[in-house]
Amino acid sequence: MTAAMPLDGVRVLDFTWVVAGPVACRILADHGAEVIKLERKVPGTLGPRRVGLQGDLNRNKRSVAINMGTARGIELARALAARSDIVIDNFSARVMRGWGMDYSSLAGIKPDIICISMSGLGHTGPRASYVSYGPTLQALSGFTAMMRDEDGAPAGYGYSYADMAGGYTGALAALIAIWSRRRTGKGQFVDLSQFEALTSVIGPALLDIGVNRRAQEAPLWRGQEGPSAPHGIYRCRPRIEGDRRDDDRWLAISIRSHAEWERFVAAIGSPPWAADPKFRTMFLRTRNSRELDEHVARWAADQDAEDAMAALQHNRVAAAVVSNGADLCARDPQLQSRGFWPSVRLPDGTVTQVTGVPFKLSRTPGAVRTAAPEIGDDNDYVLGDLLGLSRDQRTALIAEGAVWA
Amino acid sequence: MSGASDGALAGLRVLDLTTHRGALSARLLADMGADVIKVEPPEGESGRRIGPFADDLPDRDRSLFFWFYNLNKRSLTLDLTRRRGAEIIRALARSADVIVESFAPGTLAKLGLGWDELRRGNPALILCSIAPFGQSGPYRDFEADDTIVTAAAGMLYVNGYAGRKPVRPLGLQAYHSAAIYGAIAIMCALLARDRDGLGQWIDLSIQEAAAAAVEHVAGSYFMAKEVEPRRGTLHWSRYFRVGKCRDGYVMHCSLGDWTSLVEWIKADGKAQDLGAPEWEDVLYRKQHAEHLFDVLDQWAAGYSRDDLLERAQTLRLPYASVRPPEALFDDEQLLARGYFAEVEHPELGRKFRYPGAPYIFGGTPWRVYRRPPLLGEHTGEILRDDLGIDPAEIAALAGERVI
Repeated sequence: MTAAMPLDGVRVLDFTWVVAGPVACRILADHGAEVIKLERKVPGTLGPRRVGLQGDLNRNKRSVAINMGTARGIELARALAARSDIVIDNFSARVMRGWGMDYSSLAGIKPDIICISMSGLGHTGPRASYVSYGPTLQALSGFTAMMRDEDGAPAGYGYSYADMAGGYTGALAALIAIWSRRRTGKGQFVDLSQFEALTSVIGPALLDIGVNRRAQEAPLWRGQEGPSAPHGIYRCRPRIEGDRRDDDRWLAISIRSHAEWERFVAAIGSPPWAADPKFRTMFLRTRNSRELDEHVARWAADQDAEDAMAALQHNRVAAAVVSNGADLCARDPQLQSRGFWPSVRLPDGTVTQVTGVPFKLSRTPGAVRTAAPEIGDDNDYVLGDLLGLSRDQRTALIAEGAVWA
Repeated sequence: MSGASDGALAGLRVLDLTTHRGALSARLLADMGADVIKVEPPEGESGRRIGPFADDLPDRDRSLFFWFYNLNKRSLTLDLTRRRGAEIIRALARSADVIVESFAPGTLAKLGLGWDELRRGNPALILCSIAPFGQSGPYRDFEADDTIVTAAAGMLYVNGYAGRKPVRPLGLQAYHSAAIYGAIAIMCALLARDRDGLGQWIDLSIQEAAAAAVEHVAGSYFMAKEVEPRRGTLHWSRYFRVGKCRDGYVMHCSLGDWTSLVEWIKADGKAQDLGAPEWEDVLYRKQHAEHLFDVLDQWAAGYSRDDLLERAQTLRLPYASVRPPEALFDDEQLLARGYFAEVEHPELGRKFRYPGAPYIFGGTPWRVYRRPPLLGEHTGEILRDDLGIDPAEIAALAGERVI
């Protein structure tokens, strides 16, 4: 390693669960923080721990299985907080307070502590106690209503974008709070409402409501960055691989200028319809986009999606395969060339791949160093090395139910 | 309109050379007190041409798209393709902490503003380059907008119904994911600089950021070689699905206190087989999600969405109503927390409600320091105060359309 990681020496006590909180802590762990995940030993509802999404979320972290339902467990957690720089949770306000782990309690034992609480709807307000998950926050924020099919019915989300928006925002909050503490010596409390973090990523739509009083419509395939036509996704020829046939192949195309239109027409062999006067200018192409889309769709139907992407991009036309999981993880030459799917060796000797770090710092790049721990894998390190408890004391903690073996 | 400099990032100077593609990164820093100078070409940054516009009057100072992404910044117009324009950037770079840019890879180098030129005389400088596919690899120079990148990142494929055309989210969410990562990356580089005083170059790929935002897609693939399908509104975890109710839609959820939910549905006489003991097992509910949600849909049809939400939350069930974005302006939770920020636009003689802080910092608050800048509003003051350029030369630069 050439230079120290940005967060070397920063210890994070991580009470988070599900996805948003773990995303935030994972970002900190990727950049050198020692993240200690304090968790219950319960069967997971989101799949196995070391591979797949859970493997992604928990790589580079340590895990200690402390039972917060016991007085001794709470005492251990408070002792750990006193040796930490940041405490992150994603509970509603009452949970951490109930344990004496809220900011004002912890500031009493560690004056410069940073506490980041990533609750669903925030610590204050009439709905602070609402129970929420990513999909429910998306519904409340307008994201779900705006993910619509052409027939107007809700058509998504199949995933929790809210957890990502909340998770990234949580990581950013932690980094800014560390920066501030290094300059002022002071910690602070950050009340992060995942609902507000999510709401903040449809800013222009909200301004349109606030300023112009306009009800929002689903984007469908309108250009969202100024005029663009054709603009959309078009079904391609099936992909045949051995005896497997995949009909679900699509190509995204976005033509944003007249020059790009001319390159597009040339790249697809100057078909007669492209010379129709009704497609002569961007204005006309936008106005007649439905008819234009039908022509492009007919052209695309005979194309192999990958070959068409290559041909169009060779002519500097914005186009891409609508990648599915296999395209993304096994076939995309760009992501492979940039090493976006790093391998991790698991304790049983097998190797799995995980999602990489989406930015490269030239001197201190983030990295995937260790596989996700099973719950309690680091009990000895945390209780022994950090808290100085002897083997006998640790055994006693397990016997009294304060720690899960 | 400048507030007290109690922001966490007060004292940091950021040159924001981004187009509309990366403008949010620097705004996140400006909100926390950094001094962000938006460097725009004389005709204005690309976002100024993107609607909607205030009162639907297209004008480069009325783009709501630009307003949102450039709150709290100052504006300096500068033609980087002119020798004097590039010189001014190099001079500003000497006292800057961070430069953010989102040009096509290689563009800055051609203007004499590559990484080596920029950091000459300022080894502490951090440069963050945001590009659709990053600064390396076979797609480096490919053409793209947000739609193209969401396609290439696996974000489009999983939206919509199986067998039908994929659909896309509202807003430029590939850019958004990347921009928040941009601010994270810059903070990491700043914290690394604390140790040895040295800056670095950040290579941020929007494709990678968007792929990371649909992390379950790669998770399923690497775990079991499974290709995540489109599932309509059924969440991949199989614990959530949208259902119709009397006046709209609700988000059903099979996590949480199952006993309370079933008691409620039973009392309505609509439980069908859900009272059977096997449904108490959360993994059983996951496996049989389609049937479970079909029964819940029939039950919910008698309720209004707000009624269902309030009653469910009283029982601590994680339910939600599916609301349009307009509902946020009357949301009692957002209003009680003071989420919306009033921003005064003296040039229009009006105040507008902006979406507010994504987090509430107890010690070093998020603030509205200044409304988004008019095109070139601060050109004169920056050239004069920061570079000591005299009024005669400023006038000459304006005459030559360098500024």
